[in-house]
Amino acid sequence: MRIIQQSLSIARTTVVESIQQPVAFLIFAFGVLSTLLVPIFQFHRFSEDGRLARDSGFSTLMVFGLAVAVTTAGRAVAVEITRGTAAAIIGKPVARSLFVFSKWLGVCGVILLFWLGMTAATLLAERGSAHLVVSELCTHAQHGADDPCETTGYVMDSVTLTLGICGVVIALLFSAFQQYAKRRRFGVSAFIGIAISQLTVVALCGLYDRMGHLRWVITNAPTYVSDLDWRILSVSVLVLFALLIFAALATALATRLQTGAVLAVCVLVLLIGLAGDLFAGNAMLFSVQGFLAGILPDIQHFWMCDALAQGGQLSWHYVSEAGLYALGCCTLFITAGCLSFANRDLG
Amino acid sequence: MDAMNEIIQIKNLGKTFKDFWHRPVVVAVKDLNLTIQRGEVVGLLGPNGSGKSTTLKMLLGLLRPTSGAIELFDGRGPEDVAVKSRLGYLPEVSHLHEFLTPRETLMYYASLFGLPHAAAKRRTNELLEMVGLVPAADRAVGRFSKGMARRVGLAQALINAPELLILDEPTSGLDPIGCREVKDLVRLLAKSGVTVLMTSHLLADVEDVCDRVAIMNKGVLCANGATRELLRNPEIVRFSIAGLSTETAADVRMQIEKQVDRPVHQDFPEMSLEAYFLKVVAPEANGQAFKMAHFLEK
Repeated sequence: MRIIQQSLSIARTTVVESIQQPVAFLIFAFGVLSTLLVPIFQFHRFSEDGRLARDSGFSTLMVFGLAVAVTTAGRAVAVEITRGTAAAIIGKPVARSLFVFSKWLGVCGVILLFWLGMTAATLLAERGSAHLVVSELCTHAQHGADDPCETTGYVMDSVTLTLGICGVVIALLFSAFQQYAKRRRFGVSAFIGIAISQLTVVALCGLYDRMGHLRWVITNAPTYVSDLDWRILSVSVLVLFALLIFAALATALATRLQTGAVLAVCVLVLLIGLAGDLFAGNAMLFSVQGFLAGILPDIQHFWMCDALAQGGQLSWHYVSEAGLYALGCCTLFITAGCLSFANRDLG
Repeated sequence: MDAMNEIIQIKNLGKTFKDFWHRPVVVAVKDLNLTIQRGEVVGLLGPNGSGKSTTLKMLLGLLRPTSGAIELFDGRGPEDVAVKSRLGYLPEVSHLHEFLTPRETLMYYASLFGLPHAAAKRRTNELLEMVGLVPAADRAVGRFSKGMARRVGLAQALINAPELLILDEPTSGLDPIGCREVKDLVRLLAKSGVTVLMTSHLLADVEDVCDRVAIMNKGVLCANGATRELLRNPEIVRFSIAGLSTETAADVRMQIEKQVDRPVHQDFPEMSLEAYFLKVVAPEANGQAFKMAHFLEK
């Protein structure tokens, strides 16, 4: 019981300290805004409505998520070791392995918040991007309410995109007000606020159609159709698993290396992991390629955005299997991190 | 010495810092032997780089000894989590989470000791009052002055009501009133049975509060003994008499000179600069215990 209390305390403090950093919420805000802005500057459909917005969202989630994982782990472990905060905690009745594990939990907490906001933004961007609308029930002032009209053509859901962007702005303004009036931490409020704002817009967008008309006005009855591409969720969960693996790797590396070196190693692992099949697909087990393919996570398992192309679907069975693989990778890296930290001189 | 009362036993302790290739770079501590009894206040002294802080960090399990052994309480090693729950540690620099407030910091450390929420809250409020940080309890510690951060550091060292308190330069960064408060606090903690091991560059501080001093130089223990014993100069005898008139003093001096057939030095004892400062800026304290000590007594 005490171990759980200690672990949760360390993890919670790690989350607060990490998301309070200006760089954390800047990455988050920039990631969400750039995802929401893609449909506005979209000039190609890639033979599928919403594909560019969707794929851009996944890419931003992966790349920015990696940056969040590395900077958070670097700050939570490497910087704390250098500054002596880690020594202050280890000086208390906290086992070193618990410290490493709890720090990873904290980094996972930050990534989870980031993932929630980014996944919501990707869902909104996909809905907001231009889709071919063959038939849409709409209400125009000149037709009068409840009067159906035929519209055909590409329609961008500008209301959803505007709400998403405004959500970020409102979250920042609200956090600034909270900081001014109640002395709340701006970074923490902004980070959580951005995630909540995107989730709120996801919940609200079921109330109106792509043209921005309220559904209950059209149908004269309470109607809720989210019109979101929920297939995004399974692929996004896979990216989350990849980010949790990188969080474990970054936490383990940060017990010995500084943030810059951790970032370099993580990027290398990402590149090798994405291109693993190319150079180690047929490699012998006892070769350098085979060894690397054996110990490094195969990131291709977690990069499945192509599976959604042309109406494809990713099964949750596959996601659960990938989750087990991710759990194995995380266990391996965190164990390595605990061993690395066990004999490290502090202070 | 009573073996049952030995709270710290350091046997042939050595620490050599090595580089990336495991080549020895610095021998920080060499063959250190030291025993500390329950309830003692021991000062570990030495110039910069003498190995004081390294020794303290080995006691806390932050650094691994290269040789020798450390036994705390009932012969347990410093890595033992159960041992650490009986320790309080104030590092040389108060390493605090910059975005947490003092209240959150203390609640955080209380949770690391497994204190229930209500008890942690009560203890936090008590300690904030004790170190005089109630008005600043909800401001981020990252913006605190060194002295204020030190007070938070001291409060966190006491959060678990430790049996053994390890203080690395406890008065560093504190103003004279703060220094005096810390010293009074250490005395009262010792009176209540807490064992204190402290390092300080301010020899007067150590002299004021420590029963025993151990002096290290270049990693080696050079002197170890009761403070009064080490400082006593048996060659000189001093009489202190209050309210003696000039004539009587001259008579007494003449009588002594006749007896010993040596010149006798006569002077008026001076108060320390610290005592004078406190008399000027905080006369209400009247040289007695300040807020922290009062709090503890209460």
